[in-house]
Amino acid sequence: MAKKILIIDDDPDVVLAIRMPLESAGYEVRDAHSQESGLVAVEDFRPDLIILDVMMDTHTAGFQLAQKLHGPAAKADHRRIPILMVTAIHQTTPLRFGPDEDYLPVQGFIDKPINPKGLLDEIAKLLSK
Amino acid sequence: MSTITPTPTESPSPGTGLRPTLEELRENTRLLITLRWVAGLSILLGTLAARLFLDIGLQTLPLLIIGLSVLGYNTLLWSFIRAGETSHLQRVQQIAWGQIILDWLAMIVLVHFTGGITSPALIYFVIHAALSGTILLPWQTRSLVGLAVVIVGGLAWFERNGGLPHVRIAELGLDNDLYQNTTYIAAIVFFFGTTILTLSDLVTRNAQRLRQREKHIRELYDARATFVRVATHELRAPLGASLSLMRNIEQGYAGELSPQQRTILTRVTSRLEGLRTLIDDLLTLATSREASTAHAPLEPDSVRAVLERIIEREKPHADHKAIRLDCDLSREPGIVMAGDVGLGIIFGNLLNNAIKYTPEGGHVAVQYRIAPAAHAAEITVQDSGMGIPADDLPHIFNEFFRAKNAKNSQVMGTGIGLSTVRTLVERYQGQITLESDEGQGTTVRVSLPLAPDQTPPKDRDGDI
Repeated sequence: MAKKILIIDDDPDVVLAIRMPLESAGYEVRDAHSQESGLVAVEDFRPDLIILDVMMDTHTAGFQLAQKLHGPAAKADHRRIPILMVTAIHQTTPLRFGPDEDYLPVQGFIDKPINPKGLLDEIAKLLSK
Repeated sequence: MSTITPTPTESPSPGTGLRPTLEELRENTRLLITLRWVAGLSILLGTLAARLFLDIGLQTLPLLIIGLSVLGYNTLLWSFIRAGETSHLQRVQQIAWGQIILDWLAMIVLVHFTGGITSPALIYFVIHAALSGTILLPWQTRSLVGLAVVIVGGLAWFERNGGLPHVRIAELGLDNDLYQNTTYIAAIVFFFGTTILTLSDLVTRNAQRLRQREKHIRELYDARATFVRVATHELRAPLGASLSLMRNIEQGYAGELSPQQRTILTRVTSRLEGLRTLIDDLLTLATSREASTAHAPLEPDSVRAVLERIIEREKPHADHKAIRLDCDLSREPGIVMAGDVGLGIIFGNLLNNAIKYTPEGGHVAVQYRIAPAAHAAEITVQDSGMGIPADDLPHIFNEFFRAKNAKNSQVMGTGIGLSTVRTLVERYQGQITLESDEGQGTTVRVSLPLAPDQTPPKDRDGDI
C-alpha cells in the first residue's frame, strides 16, 4: 500500500511543487494550509510522514504545530509520525538549528527552494527508519 | 601577486571640519540676532543708567553710538533674514562672516571706551568666540580667536604706550584694592554672570540638538532595517515557490520538454537564481549593518566554533563542485569580541566566495591560527579560483563592486559580500588583507584581536 504523506503549507505553489514529485513517486498525498486544518488532517488521514512549513498564519506556526504533534503532551500515535520541516532559514542566515527532542521535535529539514530529487531522498530516508 | 588592504573608513578630520547646514546657519544667525538686540539695548540703557543714576564718568556719546550701531546693523541683518535672503547657503555664510566681523569691531570699541585692558566687558569675547564656533568652520573660529587676542593685546599696548588715549573710569577705582570696590564687584559679577549664562545655554542648546538628531537617525535606521528585513522576506517567499516549481519541470516531474523549452527554462531559472542571490545578499547586508553599528553590543565569541559551523554549512557546496576543502584549525577557541551573527557573516562570505569563484576540481584551504605576538586570531581562506585582475583590486572592498572577470563569469554575485566583511572586521578592530593573481587564485587574511582576558597560548597551537 502506498505510503501517505501530509503537506502542511499555506503557499499553494509550494504545495504543488512538493506534490508533483511525491505523486510521481507513488505516494498518496494530501495537503492542509494552516495549523488547525493540519491537526484535523493528521487525525483523518493518518499520514506516515508530515511535511511542515514554518511560517504560515504566524511566523512560528510550524514550530507550534511540531510541539503539538511531538511535544511532551502529544499523543503516542502522533509522535510516531516523522516530520520534515521546510525552511528558508538555513541558507540565508548563519543560524543553525537541528532537530531537538525538547524544543524542535522534528526529524529533518529541507531548504526552500525545494529540490524535488533531494526531497524524495530525504523522505525515503525518514520512512525507512 | 598584488595585495590590498582597505583604507579605513573616512571620518571628518577635526582640522577641516564639516560645514554647518543651511538650517543650522539660519537658526544660529537668528540666535545671534536675538542676543544682539539684548546687547545693543543693554549698552544704551546701561550707559544712560550709569550716567543718570549712578553718576559714573563714562564717555556717554561714544558708547551710545556703539549701542545704536549695533542695533542698526542688527536691524539690517534681521531684515535680510526676514526678506528670505537666506535660501542660499553661500549668502548665509557671507552674512555669518559679516556679522561676526561687525560684532568684533563693536566689541573692541566698547572695550576701549570702558577701560581698555581693565574693561569688565572684555569677557564678552568669550561668548562671541563660542557663538562664532557654532556657525563657522573650526579653522575660521581659531583664526578669529587669534585675531581677537592680537587686537585686545594691541589695544592694551597702544594705550600703555600712549598711542591711544586710555579711558579711565575713576568710579571703578582700579588703582585701589579692587575686592573692596562695590561697583567693580557688581560689574564683574554682572559680566561674569551673563557670560557663563549665555555660554551654558549655548552649549546645552547644541548638546540637545545633537541628542535629538542622534535619536532621529537611530529611528530612521531602525525603520530602514525593519523595512529591508520585511521586504526581503516577502520577496523571498514567491521566489522560493517559483524556483521550487521550476525545478520540478527541470527534473522532469511535469513531463518531457523540447530542447528549446529546456533552454528557455534554464535561462529563466538562472535569472531567478540571480535574483535570489541579490535578495539574500541584501538581507545579509541589512543584518551586518545592524551587527556593525556602534550600538550593537560586542560579545565574546569563539572563532573556532563559528568557523566549524560555517565549514559544515559550506562543505556541501564544495563537494558538489568536487572542490577539495582543506581545513587546518587550531584547537584554541580563539575568543574575540564580536557578535555571533557578524563572525558568521565574515567567515561565511569568505568561504562562500572561495568556493563560488573556484572552478570544479579546484582547491580551497581554510587555516585558523592564534598569533601570540599580535594577540590575535588569524584566519586565512585561500582558493585556486579565477583571482582578481590587478586593476580591480583597489576597488574590491567597495559596495556593489564586482571584478570584470567575475561579472563575465556565470557566477552569481552582487558585490556586497566583501564590503560587508570589511565593515565588520573594522568594527571588531581587526585587519583584512587580500592577495590575488588573476587566474591563479585569491588569499584573504583576517586578523581579529583576542578578547583582553584571553591569555595567548604559547606551545599549544596544535592542529587537527
